[in-house]
Amino acid sequence: MPASVELRNVDVTYPNGVTAISHIDLTVEQGDFAFLVGPTGHGKSTILKLLYCDIMPTKGQALVAGWDTAKLSPNRVARLRRRLGVIFQDFRLLERTAWENVAFALHATGNSYREVLRRVPEALAEVGLLDKADDFPSQLSAGEQQSLAIARVLAIRPALILADEPTGNLDPESSSHILQLLTRANEEGATILCATHDPSIVNAMRRRVIAMRDGRIIRDSSEGTYPDDLEHD
Amino acid sequence: MIWNTIDFICREAALHLRRERLIAIATISTVAVLILVLGSMVLFLINLRIWTQRFGEELEVSAYFERDFPRDEAEEITDRVAKWQDVQSAKFVPKEESWEWLKSNMASGATLSDLDNPLPDRISVRAKVPEQLAAIAGELQEIEGIEDVVPSAEDAGDQGGFIHRVVQAKRIVTWSGVFIACLVILAGVFIVHNTIRLALHSRWREIYIMQLIGATRAVIAAPFLLEGMVHGSLGAALAACVILPLHMYLRALSAKSAPFMTLAPDTILIPFGIGILASGAILGLTGSAVSVRRYLRRNPGWHG
Repeated sequence: MPASVELRNVDVTYPNGVTAISHIDLTVEQGDFAFLVGPTGHGKSTILKLLYCDIMPTKGQALVAGWDTAKLSPNRVARLRRRLGVIFQDFRLLERTAWENVAFALHATGNSYREVLRRVPEALAEVGLLDKADDFPSQLSAGEQQSLAIARVLAIRPALILADEPTGNLDPESSSHILQLLTRANEEGATILCATHDPSIVNAMRRRVIAMRDGRIIRDSSEGTYPDDLEHD
Repeated sequence: MIWNTIDFICREAALHLRRERLIAIATISTVAVLILVLGSMVLFLINLRIWTQRFGEELEVSAYFERDFPRDEAEEITDRVAKWQDVQSAKFVPKEESWEWLKSNMASGATLSDLDNPLPDRISVRAKVPEQLAAIAGELQEIEGIEDVVPSAEDAGDQGGFIHRVVQAKRIVTWSGVFIACLVILAGVFIVHNTIRLALHSRWREIYIMQLIGATRAVIAAPFLLEGMVHGSLGAALAACVILPLHMYLRALSAKSAPFMTLAPDTILIPFGIGILASGAILGLTGSAVSVRRYLRRNPGWHG
């Protein structure tokens, strides 16, 4: 079985000439839970963008579930993305009810009505939002909005979840809830790669920690904490 | 899966038509006005074609034989004339038939019945194109046994010339109509294109989320294409609701007051109406396809 994620000597240089990451070698196995840590602007989000095919490597190879992202046709990119769930700091929800936000993702990927009717309440219940199914995002707290974004991802049942600063806008209590949800998804088999610069959540979890600085991986520890030398950057 | 996707596409299109009602109404009414102009022009051209054709068909040359000219020879001449290159038809009309027609069509028919038939046998000749009428009349005059040709070559030339001018005018009007129709179609495509472009930009987040969760380009594009088609079709339906009854009314009016200029029969209104609806749908589809294609090319969901 191929690794969930594999980057081989990857460089990414943006069109403005800025090199975001260089010489990245990284493997994340199926079922891993890893934090990608480091100060803002040091390449964490670039790695996630590579994995959900938002950008392509300038050099090297990015493999997701064994697929070389640079060689994918638009329809293959769509097929690959159906195996992924992406969570953003700013939630990226639609101005529709909580139910519709989750259902939209399922409908757009061709699920039947019966399947949608089964999976939406399941996903909402899993994140504790079933009683707010008819609420619009603007009626939900920031923590609830992020939970809803996670429900949308969980409903699709992705093999790999990419979370880009999922607790960035949340209070400690909501952050803890979001991490519980991600942990549960991981226990159910999903690979999690979570980019963050919040030491508290990394230290609380004691999972694999991949530390980045200046677009390079500087440390990779299996049950690590947030590196002290990065905390004050 | 395909039915689930089609269902999703239809629901999304319906949702946005409801939500963006004002933009939809503005687009539909503008398309309606454009299709109204386009449809009226097409109907006018259809009628113009019918009139010019009718004028042409009604022009014929009659060649009268000498009174005691043998009928079998007259019929032989008729067969020969029918084979001329520019002749569409040549019909031998015996003097008895002409006399019967004259008696039944003249107001004084009752008094004519007491008289002996003074008419000769004749050939009734129609040209393929009205401009050839004068030449045909001239050639008929040359045939031995033919006493008179009506109209004469000179008069037929005048009539043919008139028809020729009408045909030329029709050609100019037709090409002008085609040119204006192209402009109107372009304007319609442009309007729908802009409406859908606005819709695409206001829904960038939905499109981006669809791209992220792996919706194909076809699924992303389809609701917008459907919206464009609905705008075009509804606009065309509105235009049809005005043009078709108006044409029926004008036809009834012309049948009474100007029978020589009767409008096209109502039976053409069914294919014409279907044509209007189809052109509205195609116009809407084209406008939205241009927008969606351009948008997805600029925002493919990844950055190379």
